[in-house]
Amino acid sequence: MLAAGRARRLVSILSQALEDCAEQKKKLEDNLTLCRALLGDWKVQTPESPKPENGPKSDQESEPSPKELEELELLNRALERALRVRKSTLRNPSEALGEGKKAAEKKPATSAVRKQQAPLSKESVPNTIKVTSACKKAVSSKKLSAYMLKAPYRTDPVKAPTSQSSRAPKVAGKGSTKGAALQQARKTVPAASVSQQEFSAAAEPSGSPRSPLQQSSSSFGGSASAKNSIAVILQGVEPENDCPGSLAESPVTRSHTAGDIPVGSTMARTFTLQGKGSSLKLPRPYRKAYSRNSRQWEKCHLCQSSSATAAARSRFLERMQSTFCSSAPAFSPAEIEEGVMVLRDARSLLSQYMEAETTGYPIWEKEYECLLTLEGLQDTASQCLHKLQLLRAAAESQMVVYPADCAHKTGTSPADCAPLRGRRCGDTGVLATPLLFYSSCQELRDMATLKLQVVMLRQQIDIQKVLIAELLPILESRLPCGDSPSPLYRAIYTQLCEGGERFPVLMNDELPD
Amino acid sequence: MWRGRAGALPAAIGALCRALPPGSRPAPETFRLAKFDRPEASLQIWRLLYSLLKQIHDGGWTELDTIGAQIRFVKSVLRYHGYGRPEFYQLPSDGSQGSRELLLAFSWLLIRISLLEQLLTVNRVKIGDEASVCTCEDNLSNSWKDRTETALEPCLKREVDVRYLQWLNGRLRFQWRSLHVDCQEQCKLLHKIHSYTSGCHMDQTIGHFSVTETDLIRQPDSYKQETVLDTLSEDANTFKSEDVCKEKNTLPNANLCCHIASNIIGEIDKLTKDLVTLHDGLHELVTCKKSAWYEKVKSRERILPDEREFCAAARTITEAVKLKLSDLKYHCAHKKNGMHGPYRLVFKDKRSASKKGFLSSVSKEPITNVVNATEVISKLQMEEAILKRELKRLQEECRHKLDVIAEGLVGVICIPPMKR
Repeated sequence: MLAAGRARRLVSILSQALEDCAEQKKKLEDNLTLCRALLGDWKVQTPESPKPENGPKSDQESEPSPKELEELELLNRALERALRVRKSTLRNPSEALGEGKKAAEKKPATSAVRKQQAPLSKESVPNTIKVTSACKKAVSSKKLSAYMLKAPYRTDPVKAPTSQSSRAPKVAGKGSTKGAALQQARKTVPAASVSQQEFSAAAEPSGSPRSPLQQSSSSFGGSASAKNSIAVILQGVEPENDCPGSLAESPVTRSHTAGDIPVGSTMARTFTLQGKGSSLKLPRPYRKAYSRNSRQWEKCHLCQSSSATAAARSRFLERMQSTFCSSAPAFSPAEIEEGVMVLRDARSLLSQYMEAETTGYPIWEKEYECLLTLEGLQDTASQCLHKLQLLRAAAESQMVVYPADCAHKTGTSPADCAPLRGRRCGDTGVLATPLLFYSSCQELRDMATLKLQVVMLRQQIDIQKVLIAELLPILESRLPCGDSPSPLYRAIYTQLCEGGERFPVLMNDELPD
Repeated sequence: MWRGRAGALPAAIGALCRALPPGSRPAPETFRLAKFDRPEASLQIWRLLYSLLKQIHDGGWTELDTIGAQIRFVKSVLRYHGYGRPEFYQLPSDGSQGSRELLLAFSWLLIRISLLEQLLTVNRVKIGDEASVCTCEDNLSNSWKDRTETALEPCLKREVDVRYLQWLNGRLRFQWRSLHVDCQEQCKLLHKIHSYTSGCHMDQTIGHFSVTETDLIRQPDSYKQETVLDTLSEDANTFKSEDVCKEKNTLPNANLCCHIASNIIGEIDKLTKDLVTLHDGLHELVTCKKSAWYEKVKSRERILPDEREFCAAARTITEAVKLKLSDLKYHCAHKKNGMHGPYRLVFKDKRSASKKGFLSSVSKEPITNVVNATEVISKLQMEEAILKRELKRLQEECRHKLDVIAEGLVGVICIPPMKR
């Protein structure tokens, strides 16, 4: 037992951090389920289609290993290449049907169309990645074989068509859905689910062996600009399998025209966002409400910024101010806190500038400029200090004024105070929701990663400070003790200096007798 | 006085009542009664103030149910914002009188802290994909710190094994990693939804649906038919300015403000220390550079250009520096116009942007802030670099201290792990 003191604060901080993380994760998962549902089937009317998506998978904790991610990247790139090749051979993207027909031509017997399908799980599935393919052209298949992924991915030993429902449990991972390869759009592999219809329907007549990984090159969209055409291709290619069950869908999905509202179609068994997302329309009441809303924001904005309003407001505030106690401190607590925030930012800004000016310059002009800048910085720093002193005085006067009640603590606790740290962060002047534009998936991902990084680093710094406060004294005080402190030392060294990732080596320094 | 606007006032008050969130909507009659300082209105206005202020300040933690506690809360919030009318603070804590005072306080709040706007922001229906780019330290870590400090386990009587701490730490790291994975996943899915539905939104600047909107189409029944509107088009002059007596009484009672004040003093002290170190560092640098400069000038006196040229050059440099620093001075004195609050994520493909141009959005006066992800990314990168440096610095300090301790260990040599 490597005792490390009571370390109460440390334990509570760590547990709190864990709880926060779990909370965030839960929120994220809820959102993810919703997103996946949106990207999947919207109307699954066939009774036999199983809905196992969220069932057996939700309890599996899985995390892709870096190796898996790497290989997925390779896969994606290969598929993109294939798609580019494919696209260049396509003349009219809307001839998805044509493509299907071409396929039919090349393989005279439609029944000879191979239906190789295997569920594709999300990238979060560590062990199995299976991809379905429905498009079978001789040309494509040749190309495809070149891109078959090898060994690391277990193949799904799915043979019997009746195992369609049992297929679901095989697809591990949280909420992953089966997907035709087609649905693995763009660069990413996560399975957006696609009609389990086609999947199940196609599964039935297939007697052909399933090769582990066959992908339709045309099934992967490569770029956002061609997304509609890609979507069409994908949809068109999908029901290639002319198995009886899926015939119903094929005309539907093939009759992909803009403006199709899936609700009206009687034959529509499935609807995917990918296929028909661009033809969606928000319900009328919502649209009306939305436009009314924006008009009112505009009116409101005008209202707010009119000068007559501003004048009236300031007059009122002045009159109120004149009735306030004149002996009140100069700054209200809210202003003090705001001032402290401003000065905190000022300090980091100043230190940034200072760091930029520490080098020496050979040219005298530069040197002079550097000197002047530093003097200016020093000046600003003293101004900031002065302001800080004023704020402190105000804060102290707040304290001094109400000392009698500070002693009166019944019914009030620090917890009551905390709520007052309300929404200070935020510009109350801006009315309508501001917009954040991003131009590519990569940007969005980078932004999310960086945000998480920043929060995590802040947390780590706080934890580090507590670690220093609680663990170092243990070592320092244990030195006089007799028993070997090596394991304790090693553990503490790891936590404090390496973030818990690497260990030092401790050797006994014993001279042979 | 406002007699001339007698007609507009009731309408304005009605609008005001409608603009308040549904849970705390008063009857317009209350305001009328309050104007005449009727006691029956005061309790209602206290309750109103309590529910509104609770919504603004962090949603409130504990539900204070006694009117006395609620009144104390309201008073402390008002003191926090700097409301200084002594009569207000002297109102009794059973809420039996003072409706006119309360009305004044309410009006003051409406203007001073843009109460209505804040309420709107809090209560609005979130229809977009929200993303927050705010990295305010106060927002993130303070609430966390507060909670950990108040929730200290009182029962850790035994000593804690350091391996338990290591385990907790490891678990935390794992959680972060899996959170990261989930986050990336969500980005991908969001992007997909955005691009699949692009071109469908009636608002051209947005151009595509958010998750909520898409879900709305998918399951229209699961969304209540609530108004998404705000009824905020009020007359700005709803505020009456009364003749108020100018009594300069003793200061009002405070209950909670001293807590806040003591917290902030601690922070001020920390910041003062930092600033003083910074200032001293700058001072050192300046002296050192100055002496170097004088040396240089002395040694080069012979070969320097003639005096007029030199002075002219010096003047231009001074101007340039002043310009450079004016920006800095502004930022040091004013609140950073940062990116706070939730933003709606909008996918704007570069190609489509150039095709359509931003005509539709530029034509009307921009009423919203628009921020690009690239700015956010660069800001975050800078922040990340700073934090990484700080963490490394702390770790280095520890390393030094532990090295010192290691030397004191008898019979053991410590070999630190290889530096990456």
